[in-house]
Amino acid sequence: MPLSDAAVAVRPRSPWEAVDLGVRLAQRHAGLLLASWALLTVPLLAVFSLLLWRYPSVALLLFWWLKPAFERLPLHILSRALFGATPTLGQALRAWPGLLRGELLASLTWRRFSLSRSFTLPLLQLENLRGQARRQRLDALGRRSGVARWLTLLGIHIELLLWTGLLVLIYLLLPTDFASESSWLALLLRPPEEWLWLEHLSNACYALVLVVWEPIYVACGFSLYLNRRSELEAWDLELAFRRLLERLGQASLVLLLSLGLWLPHGAVLAQETEQTAMPVSLAGSATCLLPSEDNPGPQAPRLTHQPLDSQQARREIQALLAAPPFHRVEERIDWGWSAADEPDAPPLIRTPAWLQGATAVIEVLLWALLVAGLALLAWRYRDWLRLFAVRGQTAREADAAPPAQLFGLAVDPRSLPDDLPASVEQLWAVDPRAALALLYRGLLSHLLHQRRLPLRAAHTEGEVLVLLQGLDDPALDAFARRLLDAWQALAYGSRPPPAELGPELCDAWRQLGLNSRAQAGVAP
Amino acid sequence: MPPATPATSLLDTRLRVETPEGVDLLLSPASALTRARAFAVDLALRAALSLALLGVLGRLGELGIGLGLILLFLLNWWYMVLFEVLNQGRSPGKQLFGLRVVHEDGTPVGWGAALLRNLLRFVDMLPLGYCCGLLASLANPRFQRLGDLAAGTLVIHQPRAPAAVQLEPMTPLPAPFALSAAEQRAVLAYGERQRQLSPARREELAGLLAPLLGVTAEQAPLRLQQIAADLRGTP
Repeated sequence: MPLSDAAVAVRPRSPWEAVDLGVRLAQRHAGLLLASWALLTVPLLAVFSLLLWRYPSVALLLFWWLKPAFERLPLHILSRALFGATPTLGQALRAWPGLLRGELLASLTWRRFSLSRSFTLPLLQLENLRGQARRQRLDALGRRSGVARWLTLLGIHIELLLWTGLLVLIYLLLPTDFASESSWLALLLRPPEEWLWLEHLSNACYALVLVVWEPIYVACGFSLYLNRRSELEAWDLELAFRRLLERLGQASLVLLLSLGLWLPHGAVLAQETEQTAMPVSLAGSATCLLPSEDNPGPQAPRLTHQPLDSQQARREIQALLAAPPFHRVEERIDWGWSAADEPDAPPLIRTPAWLQGATAVIEVLLWALLVAGLALLAWRYRDWLRLFAVRGQTAREADAAPPAQLFGLAVDPRSLPDDLPASVEQLWAVDPRAALALLYRGLLSHLLHQRRLPLRAAHTEGEVLVLLQGLDDPALDAFARRLLDAWQALAYGSRPPPAELGPELCDAWRQLGLNSRAQAGVAP
Repeated sequence: MPPATPATSLLDTRLRVETPEGVDLLLSPASALTRARAFAVDLALRAALSLALLGVLGRLGELGIGLGLILLFLLNWWYMVLFEVLNQGRSPGKQLFGLRVVHEDGTPVGWGAALLRNLLRFVDMLPLGYCCGLLASLANPRFQRLGDLAAGTLVIHQPRAPAAVQLEPMTPLPAPFALSAAEQRAVLAYGERQRQLSPARREELAGLLAPLLGVTAEQAPLRLQQIAADLRGTP
């Protein structure tokens, strides 16, 4: 029985999880287990009942006492099914008499009341251990058979519960007039012979309950036994190691061969790699190489000496991506135009070439007519358009009053001195910062009011320069650039401007003829 | 979240739930037999509480009896619901035996599901002492009773932290071949389960890998333990 054929997942489990697995095991083979148990026990109970018709309790006791003998049948089925060799119903029933040979007397006498019965049965039946060997094995296995005892205790309760439940169910389903108390009393008051059938009915119910419960009980005991062995013998590790051996068995052979081939050149190879390794890695870190012969791109076949090379891996990835859940085919029904679904029907009559030329001419003519019509409309309403569409915007922009303050600097012309260069020169010696600020304010005011530059409070110095370029005045641009550089260095970097800058700027100011006040000839 | 699917194609109790992040959660549902113990503890607790309540309140005359009946009602119908919602799906009995109620997708049980699964105990109890629930649970591959089926809940084993293992100090040696995650786990488990295995079995298991490791079968157990020490890394 190779472990790899086991139909259950082998992993370390707690004993109670093993019990859960036993329930699953019984579920998997429920049909066979229940049918075989029923075919074995129900006729036997029928025979007992007929033979001991006057003593139904004795029949039940006998039936109950024989349970360990019956339990060998489900265990036989389960042990076969574990390795995939599930017997048929007939095979299982025919095998049962043979299963009774091993220590049946012991099972039915002094071991009948052993609470760990389900756990020890596999030792006897599957391992064929007797006497001293069995005791030693039990010592090794049985240190944690407490759960098996619990299982039997639970089983007693479940049997009683299901049995009573079944009887109550039958009682509840009786018609009311038949089930009235008086008729029951009348029945029970009659001589016992006349309600023997009732006891036999109850016996039958017990047999029915056992049909459901016993296979589960045996399966749970078997699962506990398997779990204990798997724990002691590390079956899961054996499986894992065997798989590893299988996986690497082939590969290691190849590896050994290749090692043998490489060894003579090993030293040379090491030297070569030492010499070449550095430049390659440097080049790799500096730039991303284009795919070439030395450095094939991601599409080129790689890992060709492995069992799974890159191309096969890519194929498998594509196949995986094409299968659900990555690739999903959805069918949707939507309303649509019926004409769109039909393919274009081939034209019945082939149009002559001259006609096609004519249609092209007509198309051009129609488009020209449309454009001409639009142009005519625009001409017809030209005054209206100028008044309301074009004029409206420009007028609004032009009429908007320029702001009186920009970035905290008062740029209103009235706030500036009349002779700005003179004031700046005066201030320069005392307070270069105030002098530069005054110049800057003057420039901004000039730009706002004389040049009508749409400056906003959100503009930065750089943006002011960019806007200035739009005026196409290189001299002003150069002046502004000097001024703003000095201003930025002072305002943000606290770097004082060179001493000669102030007079130079004032000279430039005068040369440019800048002024914020409206003067004749400068105002637009 | 997608519904739980069986973890392997082999027979196992475990279910696999894949979270949107692509993480697999493994849930192991507990069968009716496992849950019966927890229920017995809860039943005993409730019985003791009820008796104590009636004993104290019975002395107060009719008022006491009335109050006691109300409290009994609350105890019987809300005991499980309150514990399950407020104590991470664990009533005292379940907590004792490491069980927990969760939704089918592994999320913590909420008020709706807890109420439904516990109100439907009324159906599971029919005709006597949870016969219906027992049969339903024994027949269901996820061990759900009728209330669980209706509420979409599972009773699962709470994963326990594995006990710390005393490991012998060992010179780590790298594995001579690449190991997959499952294989690494197996080698690590071999290192950790030394005490549970008999010496003969230890040698037999390691002997399987002896040809791969390039050592004799006698040296294989030590080598495998050294590889396990290497996989564990520095303590």
